[in-house]
This record gives sequence, C-alpha cells and structure tokens, in this order.
Amino acid sequence: MTTIASTQLKIGMEIHVELATRSKMFSRSANIAHPDNYDAPPNSLCDPVVLGLPGALPVMNREAVEMSMMVGMALGCTIPDFSKWDRKNYFYPDLPKGYQISQYDLPLCEGGSLEIPVPDGGTRNIGITRAHLEEDTGKTGHELPGGLSYEGSLIDYNRAGVPLLEIVSEPDLRCAEEAVAFGKELRNLCRFLGVTEGVMQRGHMRFEPNINMIITLEDGTTVATPIAEIKNLNSFRAVQGAIEHEAKRQVEAWKSDGLVMGAGAKSTRGWDDQRQVTFLQRAKEDAHDYRYFPEPDLIPVVVDDRWRSEIETKIPELPNRRRVRYASDYGLSGKDAMALTSDRDPCYFYEACIESTGALVGDGMKPSEIGTAAAKFLLNVGARLANERGRELQELGIDPQQVAGVIELRHANDIGSNAAEQLFEMLCDSDAEARDAAEEAGLLQVTDTGQLDAWVDEAIAAQPQAAEDFASGKDAAVGRLVGHVMKASGGQADAAAVRNCLVEKLRS
Amino acid sequence: MNDHHTMSGLAARIRSGETTAAATLDACLESIERGDGTIRSFQCTGAEAARTRATEIDRRIQAGEDVGPLAGVPIAIKDNIVTRGEPTTCGSRLLEHFRSPYDATVVARLTESGAVPFGKTRCDEFAMGSGTEYCAFGPVHNPWDTSRVPGGSSGGSAAAVAAGFCHAALGSDTGGSIRQPASLCGVVGIKPTYGRVSRYGLVSFGPSLDQIGPFARTVEDAALVLQAISGEDVHDSTTIDAPCEDLLADLHTPIEGLRVGLPREYLDAGNDDAVNEMVQSAVQTYRELGAEIVDVELPLTDVGIATYYVIGPAEASSNLARFDGIRYGERVAPGPGESLFDLYARSRGEGFGPEVRRRIMLGTYVLSAGYYDAYYKRALQVRRLIRDEFEGVFKQCDILLGPTTPSPAFRIGSISDPLSMYLCDRYTVNANIAGICGISLPGGFTEVDGRTLPLGLQLQAPALGERTLLRAARMFEQATDHHTRVPDSGSSTVDA
Repeated sequence: MTTIASTQLKIGMEIHVELATRSKMFSRSANIAHPDNYDAPPNSLCDPVVLGLPGALPVMNREAVEMSMMVGMALGCTIPDFSKWDRKNYFYPDLPKGYQISQYDLPLCEGGSLEIPVPDGGTRNIGITRAHLEEDTGKTGHELPGGLSYEGSLIDYNRAGVPLLEIVSEPDLRCAEEAVAFGKELRNLCRFLGVTEGVMQRGHMRFEPNINMIITLEDGTTVATPIAEIKNLNSFRAVQGAIEHEAKRQVEAWKSDGLVMGAGAKSTRGWDDQRQVTFLQRAKEDAHDYRYFPEPDLIPVVVDDRWRSEIETKIPELPNRRRVRYASDYGLSGKDAMALTSDRDPCYFYEACIESTGALVGDGMKPSEIGTAAAKFLLNVGARLANERGRELQELGIDPQQVAGVIELRHANDIGSNAAEQLFEMLCDSDAEARDAAEEAGLLQVTDTGQLDAWVDEAIAAQPQAAEDFASGKDAAVGRLVGHVMKASGGQADAAAVRNCLVEKLRS
Repeated sequence: MNDHHTMSGLAARIRSGETTAAATLDACLESIERGDGTIRSFQCTGAEAARTRATEIDRRIQAGEDVGPLAGVPIAIKDNIVTRGEPTTCGSRLLEHFRSPYDATVVARLTESGAVPFGKTRCDEFAMGSGTEYCAFGPVHNPWDTSRVPGGSSGGSAAAVAAGFCHAALGSDTGGSIRQPASLCGVVGIKPTYGRVSRYGLVSFGPSLDQIGPFARTVEDAALVLQAISGEDVHDSTTIDAPCEDLLADLHTPIEGLRVGLPREYLDAGNDDAVNEMVQSAVQTYRELGAEIVDVELPLTDVGIATYYVIGPAEASSNLARFDGIRYGERVAPGPGESLFDLYARSRGEGFGPEVRRRIMLGTYVLSAGYYDAYYKRALQVRRLIRDEFEGVFKQCDILLGPTTPSPAFRIGSISDPLSMYLCDRYTVNANIAGICGISLPGGFTEVDGRTLPLGLQLQAPALGERTLLRAARMFEQATDHHTRVPDSGSSTVDA
C-alpha cells in the first residue's frame, strides 16, 4: 500500500428545524416548539391526529408551509408549483401511526445556497440541495419527570407531529469548523425569519452530518472512504467533535479494511458525548426499506406566484444583507459587522440603539456617526460586560434610550470616553436617564473656562518646573500639568480644553 | 311501501308527536333482540347511549325545536366508524377493547340531522372481505337465507336493513363493500363520489378508495341519509369543496331522454344466467321509462381487480401499521434473545386474521424497493387509464347500468380461494378506483335451492353525479316492486 500524502474531509449536512407554529403540522393540537408551550407536561399536547387514533386524518398546517417557504426563499431556493406528501413507513413506539408523513421526491424547496464565514476569514457559498417538511416523532425515555428511574420505556407524544423542516446541504463543507459555521449561520437565519427560537437544549435544531474522507496517496491517486451519517447531534460542540473523530477514524478504518465509498458501504453512526467518539448504529446491509408512497389522506401543495410573493414580503432583512449595509452605511469593519449580525437579538438591539439615538439627536449626528458610535459602545463595553455577566447584550439591563443618551453625551463632548464606558455600565443597573445618571455620578466634563482657569493656575503654581519646561518648548512636560488638573477636578475637566488653556497661558 | 313505512314518513310522525324517538328506538332494539340471534348483524347495540340520544331528540321536539329531517330515526353504524365512548372493533381482535374518544364526522352529522345513530354492525376484519365471514367475532347471516353470506364487508349493515331491524345504516365502500352486500341482501346501497362524504372517523383501509355511504330500503331513504352526511369537512382535506347541493332535488323528475349506457363487458358469460336476465329486464324497464339505451365499451373492466389488489393492500399495509401490539391488542412479549421487532411480529401475527395478514403482506411487497415500479407505480398508471375510460364513456351516456355482482349470495364457507372471493367485486371496484359514484338497488330475484335470493342492479354516474344517479334509481324503483319484498326471516321495517 502506498502511503497517504494528504486527506480532505467532505461533509454534507442534514439539519432538522422544529418550526414554532402555533399548532402542529397536521392537527390543531398546540405545538411544543412554540414558546407558549415549552414546558407543557408530558403527553398534554395530544389529540386523535397526533396519537394516530383509528379514523383520525391529518390536515395540513398552512403556517408551517409558509414558514418553510420563507426559509427556502431566504436560502435562494426555488419553491416549485407542485409538491406533495409521502408516507415513510417504519415501526417504532414513538411513531404513533407506524409511518411518518414526509416529502420524498417533490419537496417544498429545491436548490439554493448559504454564505458562511470560513476560518481563514472571508466567506464561502454552501449549496443547499433541498428542504422538505415533515412531522416529528414522539420521544422515548427511561426516566419519569423529575429524573426518577423507571423500568420500562416511556413515551411522550408532545413532540409527535411538530412541524419539522429538513434542510439538506450539498457535500461542500471541508472541515468541522465550516460545518459548525454552517449550522450557526442557518440557526441565525431561522431566528431572523422567526420560524424558530433555535434553543439547542430544547432540540429545536438537530444536525446530521454525512462525512467521508478523500485520501490522496503519494502516487497521486485518490480514494474516498465510505460515507458515515452521524445521527441526531443537538449541539455545535457535538457536531465539531463527531466530525473530528470521524476524520481520524475513517482514515484508520481505511488503512485496516481498505473499504471505499460505494453502494452498500454507507453506515449510520451515533455520537457518544461522554467518550467523544462515534459508534456504529446500522450498517447499510440492514438499512430500512421505508416503502415511501404518496400520502392518500392529503392533497398536494400547489403554490402560485401570488402566494410566493405574499410570503416574500414577509421576509425581513437577512443577516448577510445587514452586514453589507453596516459596512457601506456605517463604515463598520467586516469583523464588526459580522459580530453585530451573528445573532438576531443583539442585532435588533443594535438597530434599536441606532433608532433611539437618531430620535434623540435629530440632525445633530450623521447616520454614519450614529451607526459607528453605537457599534463601538456595544462591541467594546457592551461585549465586555456581556461576557463578564454571562448574559446577552440585549439582556444587560440598559435599554436603547439609555444607550442613545450615552452616545449623545459623548458626541457632545459632555463626557469623556472612560466616563462614557463607566456610565454605560452604571445604566445596566439603573433606569435613570443617561444625563441624570452622569450628573449624579459627577461624570460630566467641566468646560467652564472660569473653573478651568482656576485649576490650571493652581497646577502651574504647584508644578513650577513642569510649567517652565513646557513654556520652553518641552511638550512632554504637559502631561504632569494636565494630570494635576484632572486629579484636582476629580476627572471632570475636559483634558483637551485643559491643554489649550495651558498653551495659551504658557506659550503666548 | 307507503309513506307510513318510509324513513321520511317516520321522521314526520316523530316530529308531529304521533310517536316518539324513544319508542321508535325501543321497537328497533326489540326487533334486534328477537331476530338478530340468527342474523348476528350487530356487534353491539349501544342501547344505553342511543336511548340518551333519542330522549334528547324527544325533549327538543317537545320544546318546539326543529331537530332536522331525520328526526328520531335510528341509524345503525358499521363497526369501522368511530362513535365516542363506544366500542369500534373493526371486526378485529386487535381493537376488541378500543373505545374512541371522538365521533366520526358522519356520526356527528347524523346527530345534527336529528337521527339517532346506534349500535355497531359487524363487518369483515378492517373491511377486508366480501362475505362478512372474516369478522373475528363470528359471521353475519343473510336474512334471505341464513346459510348464506350477506355480502361484505358491510354485511352487518346490509343484513340489519334487510331484516327490518332499522330503516337505514351506514357502511363503507372501498371496492364494493356497500354495493355488493346491498345487492346480496336486496336493499339500496350508495357508494358516493370520492370526497363527497368525510372519512374522518372511518378506520382507514384504503384512504384513496374509501367512502362512507348509506343503506336503506328505498332510494329516497338512502338519499336522505346521504344528504345528511355529505359535504366538505375541515377534518378531511380530501372532501370536495362543492356547494352543498340538494341531492334529492331531481328525485321525482322523469328520466325521459336519459342516456343509459350498457357496457358490453358487464354482461359477461361468467355471470349467473339469472343475473344477466335481471340486467336485460332492467334495460327493458328503462326503455319503457323513455330512456335511451346506449351500447358502450369499458375494456378495462377486467383489470380493475388486479389494480385494486395492488393499491388497496399497499395503502392498507401502511394504515394498519399503528396496530402494533403496543397500544392496541394483546402485546405478545418477545422471547429470550428477541427484539422489539419480534414483539411487533408476534403481536401482529397473532392479532390479525388471515385475510388481513395476506393483504398486509401483499401491500408491503408491492411497495418494497425493487418492486414499487413494477406494481404500485404501474397500478397508479392503470388507475389513470380507468379514470380516463370512464370519462370517455360518460360523454356517450349519463349513467351506466349493469349487475352489482356476478351471482347471488353464496353459502357461508363455500369460497376458500381468495381470488374467487376477490372476483365478487369485479363490477364494483372500478368506481372506487376512478372515484365516481354508484348505487346498488333491488333489481330482481332468483330461486336457488328453494330459497328466493335478491339480485342487485348497479348504476354508476360520473363524479358528483349523484343527483342523476338517484333520479335514475328512483324511477326504476317506482316502475318495479322488488324493493317491497322482504325476506321470510325478516319483518317489514319496524315502526313504533
């Protein structure tokens, strides 16, 4: 066997998104993925349709279809005129009907792409193969609520029938970091679209990477290892770990068995979070035959231009568009624009700060100045505080009006830059208006010439040597004099004004 | 049959206070008590719940309310249509202890029309059969000759109406399960246009084929029940969004000039002679009524059964997957070293009867990877052709006339070969495959081994053509007296 020259990962992602519709995919039962129902007790979100009782029939939830169309459109997919429902047949206790209603050959969304940031900076377009809508299954567990152990299996059907959008990417991803970036970007997009809150711990998004390795040998030939599909990963850490483990495992496996990609070679694997390894769940030989066939209880989904354009108008400005706008309108760096758009709520908070500032200052500041100033506060002191306090930016306690107040004070030079940051922090724990708080804390700068004169005279008298050095042209000496004034004023003096005053008194 | 004995006459007398819903129900339950020991058409009578409903109707009538056109009329329900709080066994051990927490839409609609839905009539297990012999709780006997089957799968409903236990009953028709037993029991049975009646609450066999429909003694009574249960339903997206028309509007309009198509294929040499004679005599009746008889061809009649036995079982294999021994039926624990799969296999293997197992295997096979294209996909293509063929023929005529079944009722246990059993439905399956409507009504009689057995005349009309269908049926009925004959074992329909 020739030795390996290099290896390259090849990853395609299947991402399941639970849509936060009010009712379930095919019934009027309330949806556990909707924020109102997050903590519903087990088996309380059920009806004859959810439980697959004899005689019950599914009826399509239009809201779920519209949310899916929004996601599809945001990904640049085509929404075909005609798509249909199919039954995927298999037995499992958490699958009440013995089949799952899904879409097999005619999905709701086809083709498309998603731009993701890549580790070396810059972006890449990842192809989207399709996105189809289906119903989620129930949950099988072995613990009673509260964590008490139970001898048999327990089934909670609250999740059964939740609308599930499965987004399938092309195998365009080249490393674990890219796969994670893809997942995060998609989560962010879905949050902007309002189709899910994307709470990973609640299983709102689940990831299934399809992974294999392209191995280049020293003689220049390449081989592809068999594809492994890792099921049901529900954190970005797990996605990262599973891919990294597969990258090593597949090369080792190839070295020992020489198996390459091809029919019958694909396997399904699980992820052991404790041991940080993947494990074999099912080899291709015992793969299910799902016996897909058209769902006779439902009618096909027919989409016309009118419906498409109605949905299009509901799509908000997406993060990638915002990024471009922040750069062009506010002059933000790519890194800053990315930081402000990588999550919906902080991004909306940023825009609310811009809006409040505009309202407060009127024509006093240019929009670009506002955008830059707001970004600077949120990404410096805001981000630091969020990190220290373990909270999101928008949850720090300071509201957009207060941020606007800080920006205004700073812009008017009524407050120094250090004092502004101090004020920002104070306002996180106070409902006061920015100016009142600054005044109360003595953070406003003194620009009153009478007061400055007095402090400057006092400094000259106290530091005669420094005054003489400065007067004779030694610029460095000014520091000692300004320092003296700042100390005397308790930081309230405007340093620039002090300097001007010294120049006037000693050099004219 | 005078007005006194029709359902509308009965409803009128209940509304006027001449009799009551409660008394009518009691008479009906008494006649079942008296006569159903030999017929065995009811799985249960649900007497208590029915009495509550009847009393409520009487209370509302006394309060001066208009309770609807079916005021106080007891209507029996096939045992595969769910009724709240009551058993719905589908003739299967797997559902022996099942109680539905909700009412089927048809049951709710009957109630809204003032009717008193009651009892559960026996059927073949999960509606799979043509004789109601494959009911896990025992066969139903034909009131005309209790050694014979009543037809199936809605044999219980047909026999109950034929025996005079009730004026009307609901059945379900997937390949002939209303029309064939109506034919064998000498009553009227309607298979409505696909989508005319909500399937919500009907335990699915083949959802693309299933329709619920009525049995009654007369065309008008059947039409009244059909009118009550028809219409779009938010719980069933396959129901047709058609304006709620009056299906009885044309019932009394003469049929002069109506084009009655006689498909050459329906007068097959494989039919009993008596059946072909019955059809010829019906043709003569229609001629006398002023109809124009048109000879037509339906060459795909022959492939109906093959197509049906791919599509029906395919859908059934999926629909019946939920009956897994975990939530329904006896859970047969897997043996040592066996898996969850074995639990399913054992529970289902022991819970389902042989005919249901046969169709599940058939359906699973035709949907399997590698066979899908050759069977299921091909069947869907043929389905399209059959639809097109009907569409073409209905340009030449308004309705189609023929026999409902190739022969009268057969003896219980006499058909052991599944294929022969399947062929009982050869004139009825294509209406389900194409989604059109059909009716079977008493067309004549034949003497077999000294017993009189009814023969059914089938009429078919295009999708949503019920008004023409009912009109043609009603005019035939008026010109003949077949519907007035009752079996020796039965009584004329009970009235209080």
